[in-house]
Amino acid sequence: MDYFRKYLGAQPEGEQPSGADTVDRLVDRASSSTLLDDRRDAVRALKALSRKFRLEVGTQAMETLLHILEVDRTDSEITGYALDALCNVMSNEPLDDEEEIPTPGNDELGAQFTEIFIKKSDNVGLLLSLLEEYDFHVRWPTVKLLTTLLTNKCKDLQECILVHPMGVSKLMDLLSDSREIIRNDALLLLNQLTRGNANIQKIVAFENAFERLLDIIHEEGSVDGGIVVEDCLLLLLNLLKHNTSNQNFFREGSHIKYLMPFFELDQDPQRSQAGWSAQKVTNIHLMLQLVRSLVSPSNPQQLTTNCQKTMYTCGLVQTLCNILMASGVPADVLTETINTVAEVIRGNLQNQEYFASVMAPSNPPRPAIVVLLMSMVNEKQPFALRCAVLYCFQSFLYKNEVGQSQIVQTLLPTSADVNTISAGQLLCGGLFSGDSLSNWFAAVALLNAISDNSTQKEQLLRVQLATSLGNPPVSLLQQCCNILAQGGRVQTRLGILMLLATWMADCTTAVAHFLFNTANVPYMISQVSSSQDGDENEQNVQGLCAFLLGICLLCNDEQNETFSTASLRQIIEKRIGLETFTDKLTQVTKTESYTQAIKKPHVDYKQPTEVVFDYEFVRMFKNLEHDILRALSPNNNREESKKQLANIKEHESIVSQYKDLIQEQDDRLRHTQAQLDSVQQDNDRRKKQLEDYTQQIQQLKDQNALLKATKGSKTNENDKDDELKNLNDRLQSLMLQISEKDSHIEKLKTDLTVSEARVSTQDMSEEDKENNPSETAVLQQTVNRLNTDLHELRAVLANKDADIFKLKADCDNLQSQLQQVQSTNETTNSSNNGEVQKLTEEKNSLQDRMKRGNEEKLNLMDKINKFEEEITKKNGEQDKLKEELETLRKEQEDLLVLLADQDTKIDKYKTKLKELGQEVEDDDDDDDYDDDIDDES
Amino acid sequence: MSYSYLFKYIIIGDTGVGKSCLLLQFTDKRFQPVHDLTIGVEFGARMISIDGKQIKLQIWDTAGQESFRSITRSYYRGAAGALLVYDITRRDTFNHLTTWLEDARQHSNSNMVIMLIGNKSDLEARRDVKKEEGEAFAREHGLIFMETSAKTAANVEEAFINTAKEIYQKIQDGVFDINNEANGIKIGPQHSPSNPSMPSGGGDAGRSGGCC
Repeated sequence: MDYFRKYLGAQPEGEQPSGADTVDRLVDRASSSTLLDDRRDAVRALKALSRKFRLEVGTQAMETLLHILEVDRTDSEITGYALDALCNVMSNEPLDDEEEIPTPGNDELGAQFTEIFIKKSDNVGLLLSLLEEYDFHVRWPTVKLLTTLLTNKCKDLQECILVHPMGVSKLMDLLSDSREIIRNDALLLLNQLTRGNANIQKIVAFENAFERLLDIIHEEGSVDGGIVVEDCLLLLLNLLKHNTSNQNFFREGSHIKYLMPFFELDQDPQRSQAGWSAQKVTNIHLMLQLVRSLVSPSNPQQLTTNCQKTMYTCGLVQTLCNILMASGVPADVLTETINTVAEVIRGNLQNQEYFASVMAPSNPPRPAIVVLLMSMVNEKQPFALRCAVLYCFQSFLYKNEVGQSQIVQTLLPTSADVNTISAGQLLCGGLFSGDSLSNWFAAVALLNAISDNSTQKEQLLRVQLATSLGNPPVSLLQQCCNILAQGGRVQTRLGILMLLATWMADCTTAVAHFLFNTANVPYMISQVSSSQDGDENEQNVQGLCAFLLGICLLCNDEQNETFSTASLRQIIEKRIGLETFTDKLTQVTKTESYTQAIKKPHVDYKQPTEVVFDYEFVRMFKNLEHDILRALSPNNNREESKKQLANIKEHESIVSQYKDLIQEQDDRLRHTQAQLDSVQQDNDRRKKQLEDYTQQIQQLKDQNALLKATKGSKTNENDKDDELKNLNDRLQSLMLQISEKDSHIEKLKTDLTVSEARVSTQDMSEEDKENNPSETAVLQQTVNRLNTDLHELRAVLANKDADIFKLKADCDNLQSQLQQVQSTNETTNSSNNGEVQKLTEEKNSLQDRMKRGNEEKLNLMDKINKFEEEITKKNGEQDKLKEELETLRKEQEDLLVLLADQDTKIDKYKTKLKELGQEVEDDDDDDDYDDDIDDES
Repeated sequence: MSYSYLFKYIIIGDTGVGKSCLLLQFTDKRFQPVHDLTIGVEFGARMISIDGKQIKLQIWDTAGQESFRSITRSYYRGAAGALLVYDITRRDTFNHLTTWLEDARQHSNSNMVIMLIGNKSDLEARRDVKKEEGEAFAREHGLIFMETSAKTAANVEEAFINTAKEIYQKIQDGVFDINNEANGIKIGPQHSPSNPSMPSGGGDAGRSGGCC
């Protein structure tokens, strides 16, 4: 520890070794030390340095720290330090106690280190596996590190975790950790994890996230809860926004009804006066967004409809409407609630009807719609709130013909009650008030009340306005035109132009009304042809004027001679020019405000100057723009149209000709039909006559037969009959006789042919017999003999057969024996095989042994060689020795010769001595003796 | 709507064997001859009844393509039942069953009920895998087996319901731990009289005691 104190303590003095050196030493120690305690101390020191010397620790120590995580994971303390150090290195968040100004590029440092970290995807797996460790010192920093990594490199990390089996599920499990701090940090982690990745969002939802989060929200005090509730709501929003599958799952899982308690505000007046905390405002905002995410107009229609139904049945619609009318609700919460109600009721008749029935608790009670509209046309109300009311009103009227007629109804003269304020009154008031924004809001609200509804368009034409005393009332349409002509601010004009265009589109009556006042078209023309280039909105006004003229062209009933389709086209061409007209019209679609408006129905303006176009209007504009351009295109020009007109007239004449023809044919047809009828009647009559006649004939025939019968009963007729019978009989017998004779003749004929044939054959045989009678006998004999022979042979053959049979049987026996033998052979073979195997094994072992022997032999050979060498050496020595020996032998021989000489000399001397008489010891006695024996033998 | 139990299912198998069509036939009772490739996982749900008990089936239809395999694996753990589907007109889809089964067994809880389904039984003329082979495979690996046709709806109901019956039986036998939601089984509101987790709201009688 002293080691570190030295460095750490020395830090502030600033004259000690640089951070890089220290980190280097610590890394060395952490990686090379064999003692866990030492390593732990080193890592702890690294952790301590990891903030101040982030770059150094990150570059030098990351690998070591990761290694520690792998090797020392059993020790929670060192693991915790390593994780903390890594976390500090990765984190871009400035530290509270940090005095130094962060160096530029510090923000990218974390991303860079993260990139290095995830290059090895095992590292992420390592962290995920560390989550299995329950120890707080490990799990908590792991969660923090993962969160930091996700914050730095969201997409890459998401992919890493997704690839890792059960990665997302492991992170989800953290939500059930009993330690709040881990659960809360897990919420932050999951918030990062689910950002923009639908697949992860779905897995998290699958792991029961909705229930858990709703549980936590409830436990933490729902709307009145703290930041944890906010985190939960953010996560819920992450899971549901733009994720159809999860929205469906949320609804299917019956979770919608658990959103309702969020909005059951404390109605206790004292508490409401206490005001709303900032956290509560945030919470309820998120809760409202949650509801909106389920019924957003950009969701699939079916899903939104289902959710709207569920929200009605579980009472959420009602609860939300209660907030609208509650007191003490902050304006921004109220605004968001209005927006939410708008989307909850949009296009759903049941919810729209409920909304229309909501009454404000005022005195006297007024419909909520009226109260809301009052805010909309009140310039003192916040802008966002007024936009929200418009959105709500639009949503109320969307696909709601009943609602549209209800609103228009309040404008008509019949609705008599002057004392109560009606929606119509408010809208008219707004339309003609001095506040241009109110004008715009009222105009757009009104256009939504008649949009796609031709009945209401015509109804609205009935509206008359009392201007000032004494003057005749003016129609609403004309009043709108008057306001336009007066100029006024851009928003006013835009609003009114949109209202007029919607009103007149597909409504020839309204167009006729508009054209009836001869001042209107020239005004429009003057607007469009005006060359002055104002700002974008002025150009939009010009574009809308062109659009209005176009609608007059398209929906013209041709009753007004001055402004028929043809004349209008001519006017446009002459006064404005086709090109200019087209330019002005198409200019509208190119503006930013147009593209903004067409995106979604929500009126989402940040400030009053942005208010330009309405969603419904823009949709209609898009549909009609093309038609107008086509109606005006050169192909459709005057000559063309004249031709067409001529064509049409021609057609008409042809048609009338045909009509005449058809009439004529009809007449003829009728005539022939009548003829046919009479003919048929005639026919019927004749048929009846015919039947009568046939009946008469039958009767006559019957009578005739009767008469005949009566005639037959008379006598003379009887005799003749008998005679006739006799004759007949005779005739028949004769016929029989004839036939008998015929057959007889036939028989004879055949007999004849047979006998003829016989005669011819007899002739032949007789000839043969006559030629050699004796030979036949001989032949007969031989035949007989042969026959007997044949019999004998047959007998023999039978015997042979029997023999063969026996042999066959024998053969079979033998075969079966053979088989037996074979089978036994096989068994022996198998045993043989065994033996063979054994033998081969033996052989193998022998071969092995042989190999070994060979090796030994080789060794021996080497030895032999060595020995041979030695031997040659020895031989050499031997030779030397031999030579020596030879010389020695020679010497010896020489010596022997000498000895012999001397012997002889000695003998000589001996003999001489003997001769001399000297007794001499005889050495050679033995020799002599030997000699004696030899002699004897 | 209230229910006694909620079961989570997954549908797995090679791409193009008709997993999404089976789900569509079961939930919407219709057949779509041309179906988009499933991206990741899609969700569907339906209520059925077994022994007079209402049972809610939540079904996750997974993508068969190899590239989505890692995503699909995340769904095994939390599922109580799996429909393993092959196409009787394509032998390769049958040959891959072993891989699927290994994957499922490795990542799921051990009690997950697996139903083997040979789909497209209406295409008898183009059959490439005999029914007996499917039966044999199922017997060998302890699965329930059925041949279905998402097109004609033959056996589709039965496939989903029989799987549910098997799970239900396992619950009755005490094999499943129904208090552990990670098994893909949840008890409905009427079975849990006191659920402390859910908000009681403003004391509205219609909602009190309600759960999920």
